[in-house]
Amino acid sequence: MTGEAAKLLGAGIACIGMIGPGIGLGLIGYGTVQGIARNPEAAGKMFVDMILMAGLTEAIGIYALIVAIILAMVI
Amino acid sequence: MAKKKGCLGCSTPVAIILAVVLLAVVVVGLLAGPIGKAFGVSGLPEWMSLQTPAPSLPAEGVFSVGGFEITNTILATWITMLVLILLFVIYRKKLSLIPGRFQTMMEAILGYVYDICESVTGQRSVARKFFPFVCTIFLFVGFNSWLSLIPGYGSITIVNMEGHTVELIRGAGTDLNTTLALAAITFVIAEIVSFKEQGLKYLLKYFNFSGLIGAFKQLFKGKIGPFFMDLIVGIILFITGIIELISEISRLISLTFRLFGNMTAGEILLVSIMFMVPYLVPTVFYGLEVLVGFIQALVFASLAIVYISLGYGTEAE
Repeated sequence: MTGEAAKLLGAGIACIGMIGPGIGLGLIGYGTVQGIARNPEAAGKMFVDMILMAGLTEAIGIYALIVAIILAMVI
Repeated sequence: MAKKKGCLGCSTPVAIILAVVLLAVVVVGLLAGPIGKAFGVSGLPEWMSLQTPAPSLPAEGVFSVGGFEITNTILATWITMLVLILLFVIYRKKLSLIPGRFQTMMEAILGYVYDICESVTGQRSVARKFFPFVCTIFLFVGFNSWLSLIPGYGSITIVNMEGHTVELIRGAGTDLNTTLALAAITFVIAEIVSFKEQGLKYLLKYFNFSGLIGAFKQLFKGKIGPFFMDLIVGIILFITGIIELISEISRLISLTFRLFGNMTAGEILLVSIMFMVPYLVPTVFYGLEVLVGFIQALVFASLAIVYISLGYGTEAE
């Protein structure tokens, strides 16, 4: 296997890191929808919290992306 | 209310023609891009074929002033600063008791950030003290990412001193130096606040010898049984302190890479979507990027005020 092939393989494998944030985002959405179903009046407040938490969770997926970008472009 | 004819405000034939034209644009875009090429579509005119995008990760120098290299992300930083300063100079000049549209908009933005500060810190005085800093971060990150969606960012190219063709302006968030600077400022302020509020006791949170000292006190009293129990507890407390120290430093790293990653990912996403389907479809992703820019600004500002207010928190225990 050449170095180039190993680089591209590594970048692809780094995308496995997106599983975690995917589960996390699903859980956040699940919790928020359930909360809104129980208390529809608080929907606006919950939505802001959800966006914030989603932003934080998404960042972990972004770390996987950074690893992939560094593998594919920099090294 | 009068009954609307047709759909989307157009008469029915016009709407149908519009839909057909838009669909044709998307299909032509799809065929002209690499997806069409993969299916063996050929014979398209020369101007329709696209170059493979090659986004570069580090910022490139555009020109140099006295040996100091001015990169394209620094230019974008300056533009963002200029826009913000102009906006607030106009806001300050036109300040009146009866707010107009512009003043209402600015006050809504500032009020929104102030409410976040107050709800996180829970104290008016603390919120007022750190609101300027948090709001500056919010406005800088937000405006920076929104301005970098304007056509001209990343599309105007220039040949620099070394002879490379580089982009003239590139969103500042796509440079690790900018985001590291913002994160470092936040980190240093949070540490200074912690030291100021808690004194040198703050260091005991990370270098926790209290358990070990207690254990050796037991040893000097000649109690061997309690000594081993306390020794184990002391070692665990010490290791917990070290883990706290690591997590404190990892804040700096996570703040840096969160913003950098989101901005860079946005830029690469837009470039690659434009390469795959050149017409109409990128619009959807532009909308997504507007949302991402706002959320990242909100997340960065909220985390900054959370980290700062944590310096006050442990005193109450």
